[in-house]
Amino acid sequence: MDQQQYPIPRPNKPSIADDEIMELLWQNGQVVTQTQNHRYLRKPPPGTDSTRGGTLSAKEENYNQHLFMQEGEMASWLHYPINDDDDSPFDQTFSADFLNPPPTVNNNRIMQNPHHTSQLTELRQTPMSAVPPRPPIPPPRKLDQVPQNFAYFARHSVRTEPGPSSISRTAVNESTGVDSCDTPAVQPVSETVRSSAELTEGGTGLEAPSMTCDEPGGSSSSGEAVRKVAEQERKRKGREAEEWEDQSEDVDFESAEAKRNICGSSSSVKRSRAAEVHNLSERRRRDRINEKMKALQELIPRCNKSDKASMLDEAIEYLKSLQLQVQRVQLMQMMSMGCGMVPMMFRGIQQYMPTIGMGMGMSMEMGMNRPVMPFPNMLTGLALPAAAAAHLGPRFPMPPFHVPQVPTPDSSRTQAANQSDVNVLTSVGTPDPNHSCIPNFTDPYQQYLGPHQMQFQLMQNQAINQPNNNKPGISRPPENPETRQSGDK
Amino acid sequence: MSSRRSRQQSGGSTRISDDQIIDLVCKLRQLVPEIRNRHPNKAPASKVLQETCNYIRSLQREVEDLSLRLSQLLDTIDADSAEASIIRSLLNQ
Repeated sequence: MDQQQYPIPRPNKPSIADDEIMELLWQNGQVVTQTQNHRYLRKPPPGTDSTRGGTLSAKEENYNQHLFMQEGEMASWLHYPINDDDDSPFDQTFSADFLNPPPTVNNNRIMQNPHHTSQLTELRQTPMSAVPPRPPIPPPRKLDQVPQNFAYFARHSVRTEPGPSSISRTAVNESTGVDSCDTPAVQPVSETVRSSAELTEGGTGLEAPSMTCDEPGGSSSSGEAVRKVAEQERKRKGREAEEWEDQSEDVDFESAEAKRNICGSSSSVKRSRAAEVHNLSERRRRDRINEKMKALQELIPRCNKSDKASMLDEAIEYLKSLQLQVQRVQLMQMMSMGCGMVPMMFRGIQQYMPTIGMGMGMSMEMGMNRPVMPFPNMLTGLALPAAAAAHLGPRFPMPPFHVPQVPTPDSSRTQAANQSDVNVLTSVGTPDPNHSCIPNFTDPYQQYLGPHQMQFQLMQNQAINQPNNNKPGISRPPENPETRQSGDK
Repeated sequence: MSSRRSRQQSGGSTRISDDQIIDLVCKLRQLVPEIRNRHPNKAPASKVLQETCNYIRSLQREVEDLSLRLSQLLDTIDADSAEASIIRSLLNQ
């Protein structure tokens, strides 16, 4: 670092034509002020030196000149050096030398210092890959545009705002690029040319970082980029699935941009603006949906799917399983609270189903034991059809063995819901590991379970289970044959 | 559904057809009671997703709460009884 404290080449500006756009060149984290023609190269930042250990200090000085990254014009930069090698009139001779020799210099440097060469190569060559990140200074990458003219700078600045999602996307893509402007700088060069044509995620992604880099507050922009990257990481999950959506939006946006910049006519501007507005609103809607999708994905345990459809599928499965689990636990809990009986004999119940209606069983319970009262609560509390609940309610207080009354209304009610209940019960009961075990009824009900013992227990279970599992089920008994059939399935 | 999905999956996981998503959102819509009862046909995807998230959260809370109560119940009853085994099985799911 110490060695490389090169002064900023401000003083060199005078030689630069005033009308020329002064491009802030960024090189290895150091801002090198320079115009496109007047390539005043700054020495490489201390970082490079540190990497090299100062061995290339001499060379660096030479190389620094051509090592520069123009802000917002990586593409142009890449082209200019090549083009201007011979054309840079006012450029100091050394710069020309640097431009020309850079290939050799680069080669040399490459041999000497991979980092340094990477910088050079980046500048000279399109493929920038292992460039060490230079976060401190915002990379002057405004490369989103074809390096045709500086008008693109304005376009870039305009674009920065409208494309938050694209930026976020790109930020993710360029998580490395955000830190190191080098990578995107070089890449965008080739990308920018394609940018208007192809709006792939990557393409837009590249642009975004450059846009973010454009901001004057280098550190702030990098921080922003980092934020965007983080945001992108979160969004990346849904991003793939929405690529097609985003691409279309981006395409429209890009074309609008191009129209605005290239044509400059009011009509095209209006058209592009309208399209942009539409795109923006669409993008906002998409972003909302993506947000919710991500939240959903986080809620689902062990969800490693990245595409929307499978993720939604898993959400549906999880929701169903959660519902079942809640029903089971509720049932279990109520049973335990109510009577301590174990109501898990769904399958067994079928065969033991007495001809008497469940209502009877329920009524028997209700009448016999106060603790049974919770059952009606269960029934009403659960997602039973209102009708079923209403029917069951009044029956609870009925005196026990009022069989004739109970079954009638129940049967009518039950038949409708019976099938579903039975099916549900069987399905619910299936996972229960306690199918085979007949509950040890230690509850006070046992005293009443003389000859009806099994039936009562079963009915109880059914009654309890039915309401919990679904729907109205208490009136199962009349449907014994039906339930049995469905249950046997 | 799965066949449709696999058919549509071209270019890796990026080609999810809109129909698939619509279908899945429809299924979700039917599962979430709040949406099913109030906006059976006109709930937008974002709302469905939002309600699904809320519903899942509430279900998870409920399962947690019920499991807690079940475990408390488990403590009060005979550990060797059938009920205890059933409760334990429920809690371990």
